[in-house]
Amino acid sequence: MTESDDHITCREVVELVTDYFEGKLPADEAELFEQHLNFCEGCAWYVEQMRATVTAVGRISEEDIPPKARERLLTAFRDWKR
Amino acid sequence: MGQVQEEHRTSPAAAEEAELLARLREGDERAFESLVESHHGRMIAVALNYVKTRDIAEEVVQEAWLGVLRGLDRFEGRSSLKTWILRILVNTAATRGGREGRSLPFSSLAPAGEESPAVEPERFRPPGEAFAGHWNSYPGDWTTLPEEALSGRETLAVVKRAIAELPESQRSVITMRDIAGCSADEVCETLEVSPGNQRVLLHRARSHVRAALERHLDD
Amino acid sequence: MIAHKFLRPDGTSVFTGFRWELPNGTPGEWVEASAEPCRSGIHACRISDLPLWIGPTLYEIELDGDLVQQRNKLVASRGRLLRRVEAWDDGLRDAYTRMCADRAHELTHSVEPRLEAWDAVVEPSIREGPALLGFVAARIAEEISGREAYHTERARQAAWLVERLGLEA
Repeated sequence: MTESDDHITCREVVELVTDYFEGKLPADEAELFEQHLNFCEGCAWYVEQMRATVTAVGRISEEDIPPKARERLLTAFRDWKR
Repeated sequence: MGQVQEEHRTSPAAAEEAELLARLREGDERAFESLVESHHGRMIAVALNYVKTRDIAEEVVQEAWLGVLRGLDRFEGRSSLKTWILRILVNTAATRGGREGRSLPFSSLAPAGEESPAVEPERFRPPGEAFAGHWNSYPGDWTTLPEEALSGRETLAVVKRAIAELPESQRSVITMRDIAGCSADEVCETLEVSPGNQRVLLHRARSHVRAALERHLDD
Repeated sequence: MIAHKFLRPDGTSVFTGFRWELPNGTPGEWVEASAEPCRSGIHACRISDLPLWIGPTLYEIELDGDLVQQRNKLVASRGRLLRRVEAWDDGLRDAYTRMCADRAHELTHSVEPRLEAWDAVVEPSIREGPALLGFVAARIAEEISGREAYHTERARQAAWLVERLGLEA
């Protein structure tokens, strides 16, 4: 629940960001959230920061499987199918 | 949980998965290879939540795959293959990491009433004053930063360190969601946590990482 | 039904970045979306909603299909842009900003003691433009006279827009 039914503060926005990204804010709250972002440059930048954070986290490497490990697994698979 | 299973059974992804399972059970090596390849990165990332070193993580992942093979004939498809594989991994990793084989539900692990705000209160105008709750000074506009600032090695190191600092429950959720690319439903099933709880944990984790990035980029 | 929609200068939606086909003598193409409020669907303003969604460019939009009336917007499953509201240009945006700033000062000076702290917020906010000033003025009205006054101030802002933009109320 927000402090007011007509507007939300920046302090509230930073707590609602994740739910907003997830599409889990109730319709009225999502509307207040977007209204706020429409006039508040600071919060628009904060939301962008959160998006950039998610992207940055996603970059933590997807590593390829080392060849030896791959071989061992294939062997295990062949054993299993027998 | 029932909703997830229902959606899974009827989705196009389910049909694809049924085919993959059939090929695996027939002993199709290529199918197995591609399965292993497609999951490797995220399994390592998740394993590293529980064990200290890269090498041990590789071992844990290997062990998990053996567990997958052992259970493959009995797998009924009630959850997605990916969720099932990750659950085996989590259990394997948690056991190896020195905890009990059965992971406790996170709701029982999260400290009650731990309310750390996403941003320190001092960043906002105090209650009772004009424009209460609004930024004292705005956060930075990261869209003006050069590409490398957010993708370079130093930044990645900051992100990794920030994630390592997180309490286990937050670390697991952000790893599975934002590194391993699991859906919210998959995370809830695998970690046995409610959707609401999952979001709270994800929120705290991301907020912490953002703050670390902000400190790094402000320097 | 006919409604209005603010877009970025490049014709994209403010929140989704969706690129609209802009009208050029003739209406743009129809766009289809399912009318789930805030999930998808085409968002548009009734007259009373305009002050809340102030943006760089303004269009008249025709809505069709399923229509949902939300608290401060319309959500439709079909829409197409009819024409740009040319009168909404930089000059009018500045005039609106100034109007809201003047109202804010008027309000802060209308009580004893004056709301000095709120008054101090007004001029520095100008560079951020009409949307912020509209909020500041309405917020100050609320500070003085309560929730009703917030809505009354917003209604005043909408009336100003109707008049200066030549819209049908």
